[in-house]
Amino acid sequence: MSHPIEVEGLVRRFGDIVAVAGVDLVVKRGEIFGFLGPNGAGKTTVVRMLTTLLRPSAGVARVAGHDVVSAAGAVRRSIGVALQDAAIDPLMTGRELVRLQAVLHGIGRSEADRRGDVLLERVGLSAASHRRVGTYSGGMRRRLDLALALVHEPSVLFLDEPTTGLDPTSRMALWEEVRRLNREGTTVFLTTQYLEEADVLAGRIAIIDDGRIVREGDPKVLKAAVGHYRLQVTVAPHQLATARQVLDAFGDPRPSHDTTVAIGLRSGPATVSVALRALEDAGVPVEQVELDAPSLDDVFAEATGRRLEGSAIPDESGRE
Amino acid sequence: MAAAVVGDRDVGLGARAVVEQVRALGLRSIRGTLRQPQVWLPGLLFPMFIAAVNTSAMGKAVEFLPGFDGVDSLLDFLLVASITQSVLFGGLAAGTDTTTDIQTGFFDRLLASPVSRTSILVGRLMGASVTGALQALVFIALYGAFGVRIAAGVPGGLLLVAYAMVLALVIGGFAALLALRTGSAEAVQNMFPLTFIVLFMSSAFFPTESMEGSYRSIASHNPLTWMVDGMRYQVIVGLDWSQAAMSLSWTAGLAVLAIFGANRALRARLRRAT
Repeated sequence: MSHPIEVEGLVRRFGDIVAVAGVDLVVKRGEIFGFLGPNGAGKTTVVRMLTTLLRPSAGVARVAGHDVVSAAGAVRRSIGVALQDAAIDPLMTGRELVRLQAVLHGIGRSEADRRGDVLLERVGLSAASHRRVGTYSGGMRRRLDLALALVHEPSVLFLDEPTTGLDPTSRMALWEEVRRLNREGTTVFLTTQYLEEADVLAGRIAIIDDGRIVREGDPKVLKAAVGHYRLQVTVAPHQLATARQVLDAFGDPRPSHDTTVAIGLRSGPATVSVALRALEDAGVPVEQVELDAPSLDDVFAEATGRRLEGSAIPDESGRE
Repeated sequence: MAAAVVGDRDVGLGARAVVEQVRALGLRSIRGTLRQPQVWLPGLLFPMFIAAVNTSAMGKAVEFLPGFDGVDSLLDFLLVASITQSVLFGGLAAGTDTTTDIQTGFFDRLLASPVSRTSILVGRLMGASVTGALQALVFIALYGAFGVRIAAGVPGGLLLVAYAMVLALVIGGFAALLALRTGSAEAVQNMFPLTFIVLFMSSAFFPTESMEGSYRSIASHNPLTWMVDGMRYQVIVGLDWSQAAMSLSWTAGLAVLAIFGANRALRARLRRAT
């Protein structure tokens, strides 16, 4: 049986600009696939081709077993799409929009109402379903967008940067809903520029940069491949040299601040307690300990030679 | 790659489902208009204001100016003009709302669903047409309260409503054409003064018999004059099917032209997007 998403040599040119330069991908049934990359890397262009909104310049893409070019209608019937910015008519109520979306998918009015009630309840919008969408918060709009994408019970769900601009509570609620959908069997193709989001949700990821896939695989495996856990200890300034000497036995030195010593833990996090005991035995009191796992940003940096700007999820004040 | 794609006919839905899609999209269009008083209110108030000013300032003109034969009151004469003006104003919403859909991404949402591409346009125009009918009914009722009686009776009233509906397709079709071509609300709004020039250079507010020189010549050859005159005949004189046919056939002809153009623009946009 074919995979829900199969892409071979996908290319998209806009005049002289090559936005997508030969992407190969396979997304397996029932997985959440994270598609990562900085702004302008080609994420949305790939999504638009896979959702039939853009014709590929070259290559082949099959979604839900259908070619996105020759069987675009069949693809549209099989997929749910929540595009960037939650394009929702602010003049309509949530209930009206769900009913409209259902009818557009060929679902009868009574069935559309039934599914609408279930979906609105599920995304926590029942009470607000009679209000115009223009009065909804960003999180409510995203949840409604998700409900709209699900109204025809698609087998493949495309979420294009679904949590951009959301507050932490709304983001966590959306993550939980995506997990729940996935547990129920929906294959999810998630684009995001937030590394944490991909790390938390995705079973497999691909990183796109400059129109090309630069890494693909299980996030844990990718992270493990690029480096070690980073252990950082804060000690008194006059004991920095001793601390460095002790920690040398546990890993290679890493850049650190004035009163700290950092190493890449050679044998993984299990040796943290051993390293701390060694410091204690050497008469070096430790004031503070930090242990950082290798991140997807490290994976991106290793693949491209630079950090993924703006990849951190903003806090409630909007800072990254 | 293969040719058929994103603007394809492969929606895979039956005729009944397509009709449901058009109905749902038309309903959305009507709701969208009615929920924006700033869109429809000026289209009602402005023609009323012009009619009130004209009636107050030049109400006696019907007694001595040529072309007002059989006209009891200037308001009788202006009923069709007010309906026409209101529909020309309101029908532009079909274009501006389309550009809003394009700019906000709602158009993409529609395209990513298995909706018939033509349904998107037909739904929008159907909404404009029903709104046109509502505008006509408001003017018939309101002017009726001020003593205007349609000489052709109920059939004449129905003809006026039909005229308003088809006229809405004309202006809505051209506005949608411009919206789909440019994606710019400003471009659609720029149609507004043009429609007013066409309206004022017709017999909408004064009979061509009372005009002179090139103005009279332009107005006499303005299709809007033939459309308005045919309907006005029903109000002033009485039921006349040949007059109604002249008016409606011109209006319908322009509607076909506008819808054809808008459909071409839709196809072109889909091709450009893909």
